[in-house]
Amino acid sequence: MKNAIKIIACLFLVFTFTTAVVKAEEWSVPASAKKKQNPYEASTKNISSGKKIYNINCKSCHGDATLGNMLPLQPVAPSDLGSQAFLIQTDGEIYYKVNKGNGAMPTFEKTLSDEDKWMVITYLRSFDQNKKASKKIAEVINPEVNDVRILLDINKEDKRIIANLSGLTKKGDRVALQGIELSIKVKRSFGYLDISGDDAYTNEKGEVNVQFPEDLPGDREGHVDLLVKVTDDAYYGEVNVDRIASLGLPTDPVNPLDERAMWGTRANAPIWIVLSYVGGVISIWGVIFLVLFQLMKLPKLAKTEE
Amino acid sequence: MKEETSNNSRRKFLKSVGLTVGAAGVVSGFSLLGAAKAVAQEPGETVNLLTQDGQLVQVDKNQLRPTVSEPLTELQKRGREGIAGKSFVMVIDLSKCRNARKCMDACQNHHQLRPDQHHINVLQMQDAEHTAPYFMPKPCQHCDNPPCTKVCPVDATFKRQDGIVLIDNERCIGCRFCIAACPYSARIFQWTEPKDAEKYKDLTYNIEANVPQKKGTISKCLFSADRLRENKLPSCVSSCPNGVYYFGDQNEDAVTNGTTHETVRFSQLIEENAGYTLLPELGTKPRVYYLPPKNRAFEFNGDLLNEENLH
Repeated sequence: MKNAIKIIACLFLVFTFTTAVVKAEEWSVPASAKKKQNPYEASTKNISSGKKIYNINCKSCHGDATLGNMLPLQPVAPSDLGSQAFLIQTDGEIYYKVNKGNGAMPTFEKTLSDEDKWMVITYLRSFDQNKKASKKIAEVINPEVNDVRILLDINKEDKRIIANLSGLTKKGDRVALQGIELSIKVKRSFGYLDISGDDAYTNEKGEVNVQFPEDLPGDREGHVDLLVKVTDDAYYGEVNVDRIASLGLPTDPVNPLDERAMWGTRANAPIWIVLSYVGGVISIWGVIFLVLFQLMKLPKLAKTEE
Repeated sequence: MKEETSNNSRRKFLKSVGLTVGAAGVVSGFSLLGAAKAVAQEPGETVNLLTQDGQLVQVDKNQLRPTVSEPLTELQKRGREGIAGKSFVMVIDLSKCRNARKCMDACQNHHQLRPDQHHINVLQMQDAEHTAPYFMPKPCQHCDNPPCTKVCPVDATFKRQDGIVLIDNERCIGCRFCIAACPYSARIFQWTEPKDAEKYKDLTYNIEANVPQKKGTISKCLFSADRLRENKLPSCVSSCPNGVYYFGDQNEDAVTNGTTHETVRFSQLIEENAGYTLLPELGTKPRVYYLPPKNRAFEFNGDLLNEENLH
């Protein structure tokens, strides 16, 4: 009897899952997310830590990688994450799916740290039989060009920077270059602050559109020194353009020496200290002189007494 | 008598020989010197120089000598003023420090300190009995409300407009009030003749590096103020192999890592990692921020005597 209740409960659970899984087959991943690469190397340490995380968070549904012992859910069973059919995806695709979830697959965006997610991907990659093939991202083939240039269009109102990458073909046409990563940087005292974000690849118009951080300080007038360059010099050599733009927050540097403070040197001492010190000196010397003056009066007094 | 005369003559002879040999030596020495000079002067390359009174003169290149540095008055003046418009901050990421001690070496090298003298020291810390031990580099905190400058009776230690607290060893009388006032024990006293005192005795004193060090005066971390003037990161920051230090300008809200040279937003770095300052209850407002020792990728090894465990 108890068994029967258990079976009914299980069936009920499976049923509720299946209704959720109906749309599981269309699982589109944006192109920008596909480009993401696993920042961690496939070292044995990373793979084993990925396995631990996998066993805790994924195994209950997906089963052991490559063994095909996943939960038999309907209509779509969880995929075998060690199979070649699954590993044909890029790192970025898997990362996106783990983050977002779909149907019965829950989201792990907040429950797993980024590092943990990449460790799991590193672990799964270790089952990949043609690693190099799977790592390749579908690259856009640009025509052969020379005189590659970056044109900057800066919108001061909403603080947007639009960088346009183009090159001159052999026929003499200027064409946009697609799928090239650009770095948009702001000069600071000891280096360049990268503000290009995660997805700074040129689109089909050769453009990268970047939001300048609202609260990033500039100089007194809000000027900042911008540097836009092609991240990888291997494509077209060193291509860069720098520009001074008034996108930053105007900041007036505070000089701590402008205020009088206890820690200041003599010239910056607080007024009350100067006054009380000078007052003290005057009053002490005043008393001394007063006494001396009175003493000098004594002989005169003695004479008048006589 | 004869013997005496012979003796005399021998002495005279020896004297005269000695004189001639000596004279020859001196003469040859001069001639050698002259020859050397002549050789040095041979390539008659001249450069145009502007003199102080505005005259353009042609000077032989061989007569030019490299100047040691700016004159003392200039160094003192700019050292007191500081770099306008800057507000330097340091961020120390304790989760990355594994006691490599390269910062200490670089600092001691820069400021002519002996190995037992520290402007920056890497300490072993354990906050409570059951908490994890960690390493903590501790330089001068360059407080915005510095207790040390308050007690100096001779204006020798002072704060400049870019936030750095410096010492003028030319003024310092060695009373050590500032050592007593500093809650971070950041200051040291030169009890004996400093390291390489003889070697550097002709060097012009640079207030921004405290070199050459002076016996009987105070010395402490200066954020390598002389390097900052050339837009270089402080010695300790750029010598760290583990990416512990960030340094930058608070007015620009950006700090740069000395190892990876990655520049990040200062406010974000502090906020996301729960940055803190040392002894905030004293109200000293330090300019050195610490990031807690979390998620360390290595094991703490407190056995400092074991060289193998140092890296």
